[in-house]
This record gives sequence, structure tokens and C-alpha cells, in this order.
Amino acid sequence: MKSLEYNVDLVLHLVKRSFYLRYKGSAIGILWYLLLPLSQLLVLVFLFGKIVPLKIDAYPAFVFSALLPWVWFSSCLNSASSLFISNRDLIRKPNFVPFILIIVDTLSNLLAYIIFLPILFIMLAFYGHYVSLSLLYFPLLIMIQSILLIGLGMIISTMNVFYRDIQQIVHVAVMLLFYLTPIFYRSEAISSNYTLLFYLNPVAVLIQGYRSIIFYGSPPEWGSLLLSGAISVILCTIGFLIYKRRLPDIFDAL
Amino acid sequence: MQTVLVADNVSKCFRIHKNLPRTLRDAIIQRLNGRHEPIRDLWALRDISFSVKQGTVLGLIGHNGAGKSTLLRLLCGLGKPTQGHFYRQGNIGSLLELGSGFHPDMTGRENLMTGGILCGLTKRQVKAVGDDIIHFAELEEFIDQPVRTYSSGMYLRLAFSTAIHFDPDYLIIDEVLAVGDSRFQQKCLDRLKAFRAAGKSLIIASHDLEQVRGLCNEVIVLEEGRVVMQGEPESAISCYHDLMRQRSDRRARQLYDNELPNLNVSKGTRLGTQEASFTNVYIYNAQNKITDTVFSGDSITVELEYSVAKQIPDMSLILGIYTETNTKCFETTVPSIVSAFGKFDTKGILRCSLPVLPLLPGHYYLNAGIYPADWSFVYDYHWQMYTLHILNKTDLDKNISGIVSIEPVWAESPPVKLE
Repeated sequence: MKSLEYNVDLVLHLVKRSFYLRYKGSAIGILWYLLLPLSQLLVLVFLFGKIVPLKIDAYPAFVFSALLPWVWFSSCLNSASSLFISNRDLIRKPNFVPFILIIVDTLSNLLAYIIFLPILFIMLAFYGHYVSLSLLYFPLLIMIQSILLIGLGMIISTMNVFYRDIQQIVHVAVMLLFYLTPIFYRSEAISSNYTLLFYLNPVAVLIQGYRSIIFYGSPPEWGSLLLSGAISVILCTIGFLIYKRRLPDIFDAL
Repeated sequence: MQTVLVADNVSKCFRIHKNLPRTLRDAIIQRLNGRHEPIRDLWALRDISFSVKQGTVLGLIGHNGAGKSTLLRLLCGLGKPTQGHFYRQGNIGSLLELGSGFHPDMTGRENLMTGGILCGLTKRQVKAVGDDIIHFAELEEFIDQPVRTYSSGMYLRLAFSTAIHFDPDYLIIDEVLAVGDSRFQQKCLDRLKAFRAAGKSLIIASHDLEQVRGLCNEVIVLEEGRVVMQGEPESAISCYHDLMRQRSDRRARQLYDNELPNLNVSKGTRLGTQEASFTNVYIYNAQNKITDTVFSGDSITVELEYSVAKQIPDMSLILGIYTETNTKCFETTVPSIVSAFGKFDTKGILRCSLPVLPLLPGHYYLNAGIYPADWSFVYDYHWQMYTLHILNKTDLDKNISGIVSIEPVWAESPPVKLE
């Protein structure tokens, strides 16, 4: 077993490396990282605040509290597909465990979320929403989402080594999921015919959870959260089994 | 001595898919059509067993496709053997294919850090040896440039320096030392010898038999994924040569309905499949006369008349001068006729000029061979068929011996005064 210092160094270095590689050679570099959620926020606020008003109080803060975890989720899924293929140099090293790449990717995208939190809190304060004790649930939600992302990451990145069109499928799925998830609208707006769709969508439940603890300052809805937690654990197990089974073939295929 | 690595009956099978579905769509269509794609099993390695003790250098030789690289990759933990097991102890360092292991867009320094951390060192430890690595690789000026701007020599220098400085318990090297200038190669070899002396183990795959002879204390000869022999370098190398001859014979038998072509020659030995062959080999002296006798220090030109029996995409040539006791004095190879001279006809002549022949007087042999471009067998090899007599040009110093003709100048030096 390697020391803690080593493992921290390993993960930190790889996170730094993935940041660097993503933005190398671009003029404003790492600012792109911040620009993506902000531009999405602007579009949504303009669209559903001004053009087709949804009449929601403090709409920018309402959207932003859900958009940030969504960006974490979607950028993880989108980069998961090329994770093994584009890091061939690391995978070719003896004793390198490709699984680390998935953790690193999840963490480096989580970082953007964390960086944005102060901006979100300022925005909330501006609209008179103050941070409440329910924020203590935040780590729990982060944990469930991490499990979900690692699980999906293992499935997607493993399968994409063998079937390169997984990447396209994931892109389309992420786009569809954006509209199926209450990010720019209230979850209450979902007609009762479709509530099942909401409960079975762990991202939707998680995002609703973030919104309730950050925006509304109330604890998350336990029933649906437990369900999505269970779904995440199941997906993570499936992902691990797929990954474990195909791992030797990954080395041969790359 | 402790055993650091054991391979126990390792086999590796690759499934060769005729048309492997590259996309999910193709996979589904294939499944729906009920067409099972033809699969062929290719056994890249078969029942490989060996063990490596501390302080040994194990060499792997075998022609292209014999399974050397596959074995090394498995040793590094890339992929799993289909059957059998490896038992390993300690840290592995590796220098596999040149080009893997570094990210082209990152600078040398960043790649070095990545490499070090992945070798199991903490950031602090990597920083501590970083300067040594850069110094050894002689890359002080370029270390902060992206690796993609490096020449292959610089790349190798960084890769080698990184691998050896992270203090692995054993190092696995695949063929890469062939790149780089000879001075750096020597530096690497010295370093590897020190590494061996420190009780570490090395596993090297190489085509360079001289290198294998100089570095290894044990050699495994691989042929079609099997261990043909394992033993000390000299016998392994002659086994390797035997294998090449056997392969050529086998091929010749296939080509000529189980009959070996009649290769009786009046002098020396001739072997090969004769798909391409030398029809005539002449030695010309400086006056452009065919001869077999020249003076020491004269120039000669060797004319090789070849003919190609059937369509061959490319071939390699080798021309060497050997002593009577078969010591190599000089050898030159043309690794690819096509890239050196363009397309070749069914018949042709190549001339090789040697402007000076600084050999001491005596009898020498001229050996010449044609090989396929991957050197896997012999088309035609003429061994000791052409003699070359070197005569004494002037009244050369009688008190010299050896192979190379160098005129020594002796003088007495005044004694050194001690202050």
C-alpha cells in the first residue's frame, strides 16, 4: 500500500495535468473553464427570463444553483468517452490503473463546481436567499453524484474503447437529459404523468436536491434521494464489473 | 541471489477478427444478421517459462513477430496472459516503444514529473532527482519545450534517463537503444552496466546481437512465440543464426517442391531461398580491373550483380569483410533497396566503393547477402566465397599485428620533472 502523500500527489498531479491539457494553446486558457457555465446561464436567463418568461423568483440564482451540478455531470460524461483513448501515454506505463483516470476526471470537473460556489452564494444573497443549515447536506449530494459519475464513467470509457460511436450516443443522451432534468424549470412543472421519469433519473433528483438545500434552504426529499443513491450504487457496480471484465482487452485494443 | 521475476507457463492469444465491429451500430447489425464474424486465434506466446534473478541481464532475441514485444508488454502488466502467471517483486521501469509514455503537448519537465509519479515516487522525490535526469539526458536547454518538438534522439534520451533514474528494481527495455547517437548509446550502456552491478535486473529485447553479447548474461531465443533455447549469449546467438538458416531452408523447400536449390560452390558456402540472388560478385581495384589482390590502404570497389526471381517489394543488402577466423573487420548494410535506390528491376548491379582499405596484409573474405526487408530469413548469402588478399604496400613496419593498418610513430619523451 502506497503512502497517503503519494496518492495525494498522484491524483493532484493528474488533475493538474488534465486541466493543462484541456486548455493548452487557447488564448484565455483556464478562463474557458469558467466561461462555459456563465454563458449557459446567460442564454437560459435571457430565454426564460425575458423571451418566454417562466415567472420564477430570483430566476438567475434559481437556474445557476441547478446548472452548476449539471455542468459537472455533463462535462464528466462527455469527456469520459475519450478518457482511455486520449491518455494512452499513461495507460502504457507499467502498473498504471486506468480507473484512476475516471476519478481524476470526476474530481477535476467537481473543482469547477466548487470554484463557482462563492459566485452562486453572492448571487443568492443578492436576491435575499441566505445560506442555511441545510447546506450540511451538500457533501452527501456530492458523494452520491460522485458515485454515479464514476459508475457511468467506467461504463462509457470502457465501452468506447471497443465501440467508438458510444461517444456520439453519449453526446445525444446528455443533450436530451438536459431538457428532461429540471434545470431551467421547476420540478413541480412536470406533469404527474411523467413523475416516474423524474424519480428514475438520478441526475434530476440530485439537481433538485442541490436546489432545495442551496436555493430554498430546505432539506432534500429523502425518498427520491435514497432511490437515486441506490441507482447510483447499482450503476457503479455494473460499471465496475464491465470495467474489470474488459480491462485486459483495453490494453490489447489500445 | 533472490529471484525477482518468474514467468510460469505464460501464453498469450490474440483473437484476430476478420471484420471487428468498430461501432455499436455495426455490432448490432452483425448480431441481427446472425453472422458470426470469423475469428482466428493467434498465439503470440506459448508456454513461456523463465525466471530472472537479481543482477541478471536477460536478453530476448528472435526475428520480427517472434513475440518479443508481446512478452515485454505482458511483463510490464499491460494486458493479461491468456494462460499462466507472472510473479513479480519490486518496482518495474520500462522503456517500451518509443513514442508512448510521453504526452507530446506537455513539456519535458512535466512529462518527467508524470513519469516519476507513475513510477511510484512522490512529488518531492521526483523533484530531488529531476536535475540529474535532465543533466544525464543533456536536455537542459529544451526541457521546458513541449515534447512534440523533440527529435527522436532527444526523446530517447529523456525516456532513458527518466526510466533509469527512478531506481526501479528491474528495467524492461524494448529495442529502443538503437536510436540516438553512438556516444549517448555508450553512455546508456555504461549506465546499464552500473545498474546491473548494483544488483538490479534488466530485460532487453534487441536485434543488435553485438549489444546482446556485450550486456546480457542470459539470453532467450524466441521463435513463433515459443522459447527455442535459453542459455548463455554465445550459444543463443548461434542458435538464432541457425534458426534463420532453418527458416530459409523451410521456405526454399516450399518454393521448390521440397527440393533445396543446388547451391554447390567451389569455395565457401552459399545459402538462402534464392528468390533474389547474387549472380556475380566482383572486386575492382583502383585501376578498375577485376582482381582479388590489392595493397593495404588501396581503394576497392565491389560490384554486386543481382537478379530477382519473383516479385519482391523490398530487400536489404549486407556486405562485409571478414578475417580467415571469421572476425568481422567491416560491414555495411543497405536496410532498404527501395528507399536507397528506388524501385529495382529483375536484374541489376550495385557498386560499393571503399575509398581506403586500411587492413594489415593477409587473407580476408568478402561476404555478401541479400535479405528480405525484415531480415526474417535469407534470400542469398555468400560466405567465404570471395577471397581478398591484402599485400604489403611499402616497407611497412614489421612489428605490428592485428587487423587495422596503422603506422605507429614511437618517440622518447623527456622525463617528467617533479616540482
